Amino acid sequence: MKRKNFYWSVALVSLVIGVILALQFRMTRDIQHNEAIRRTQELASQVDQLKKEHDVLQPQLTRMREQLEGLSTGPLASQMKAEMELATIFSGLTELTGRGVEVTLKDSNVSQKLTDNPNLYIVHDEDILKVVNELKAAGAEAIAINGQRLVAGTEISCSGPAVRINKKALVPPFVITAIGSPETMEGALKMRGGVAEYLQFFGIQFSVKKLEQLTIPAYSGSLKTDYIIEADADTALAQ
Amino acid sequence: MFSISFVTIVLGMMLGVQFRTTSSAGDNVVPRDREQELALEKKNLVGDLYKLQVEISELSTKLEQAGIGQREADEALEKELDKIKRFAGLAPVSGPGVELVVKSRMEKAGLGAADVPIIADEQLLKMVNELYSAGSEAVAINGQRITAISEIRLAGNHINVNGTPLSAPYHISAIGDASALKSRLELKGSLVDILRESGISIEIEEKKEVAIPAYIGELYFEHAKPVKEKT
Repeated sequence: MKRKNFYWSVALVSLVIGVILALQFRMTRDIQHNEAIRRTQELASQVDQLKKEHDVLQPQLTRMREQLEGLSTGPLASQMKAEMELATIFSGLTELTGRGVEVTLKDSNVSQKLTDNPNLYIVHDEDILKVVNELKAAGAEAIAINGQRLVAGTEISCSGPAVRINKKALVPPFVITAIGSPETMEGALKMRGGVAEYLQFFGIQFSVKKLEQLTIPAYSGSLKTDYIIEADADTALAQ
Repeated sequence: MFSISFVTIVLGMMLGVQFRTTSSAGDNVVPRDREQELALEKKNLVGDLYKLQVEISELSTKLEQAGIGQREADEALEKELDKIKRFAGLAPVSGPGVELVVKSRMEKAGLGAADVPIIADEQLLKMVNELYSAGSEAVAINGQRITAISEIRLAGNHINVNGTPLSAPYHISAIGDASALKSRLELKGSLVDILRESGISIEIEEKKEVAIPAYIGELYFEHAKPVKEKT
C-alpha cells in the first residue's frame, strides 16, 4: 500500500516536471517569435520610408523634364514638345483624367463547402490580368490598379496572399480604373461568356461603375533599363 | 519505476505543449513568409530608388548641357524624348534576350483524328506577363510591340495584338537577362512546362541580340486628358 502511494507521487512529480519543461521550451520559442515581430516591424517602417522617398523623387523627375522642355527653343522645339506630350501620355508618365470605368474585384463571400478548394474563390493575378486585357481590347487609353499605373513593362504576378504590380505588393479589394468609353468597356466585361460571368461563377465579387470623370495617377517607377542597348549607344554618341 | 516516471514526463510535456498551443492560437505570431515578403519589397524599392536617382543625375546632366546653348538644349530634349519613347514602345530597341517560337505539335499518336492543341489567347497573354515578371524590358509578338494598352485577345479566328490579327506560329521576342529569362520560363510547373506537356511546342533560344520594333499604331486619345499641374 505504502509502495503504491510512492509510485503515485513519482508519477505526479514527473508529470509536473514534464509540463514545466514543455512550458519552458515554448516560452523560449515565443521570445524568438517576438524577435521576428520586432524585425518585421522594422522592415515595415523601412519600406514605408522608402515609399516616401519614391514619392519625392518622381515629381522631381517630372519637374526636371518640364525644365528641359522650357530650355528648348530651337527650330525643332515645338515639334519635339508635341511628340513629348503624346509620348508621356502613352508611356504613363502623366496623370490623366477623363471618362471611364471603375471595376472592383473582391474575394468570394460565398460560404464554401469543406470539400471545395478555397483557391477557386479568391481573386488571382490571372483574374486581374484577364479583366485588364478585356479593358485594353475595349479601347482603354490608360489603366491603373489600386493606384499603380500600368505601363508597357508592367507585370501582374502572384506573391503569396498579395498580387505584385510594378513590383509593389497589393492586396484585395482590387480597384481597376480605366479611361475610355465607359459603355464599350462595361459591355466588353459583361458580355455573355465574358470575364464578369466567369468570375461571378466562383462568387468573386465583381462590380463595374461607369464614371463621367476619373483620374489615373502617373507611373512612379523608373524608366532606366539595364539590357536595352540603344540607351548606351546614344550616350556614347553624345560624348 | 523509471518507466513510469519517463512515461509521465512525456505525458506532461504533451499536456504542456497542448496548453500553450491552445492559449497562443490567435496571438500575433508573425509567419515567416511575411518577413520575407517585406524583405523582398524593401529590396525592390531600394533597387528602384537607385534607378530613380540615376535618372535624376542623368537629367541634371542634360539640363546642364541645355544651359549651354540652343542647339545643346534641343539635343538634350531629344535624348530625353528618345528615352521615353523606348520605354513606352514608341521607338525600336535591341539588346540581349530570348526568342520563343510557340506552335502546336502535330500528335504522332492517333492517325489523323488526333486533337491538335490550340494555343489560346490567354496562354499568350500569360506568357507575355511572365516574361515581364521575369524582368523583360521590351516584348513583341510577331513584330507587334507590347505597350501599356496592347491587348492579346481572340477575335474571330485570330489572336489580335494591337488590333492586328496574328496567326501561329507565334514568335515572341523579349529583351532582358537572357539566361535568367530562359530558366525562369522553364521552371518546373511553369506555364511553359504545362503547355509543353499538353502538346504545344515552345522553343526558347537565348540571343546576344534581339531586335524589337516600335509600336506602329496610331497615337490618339479620345477620352484621356493630362491633368494640368496646379502651381
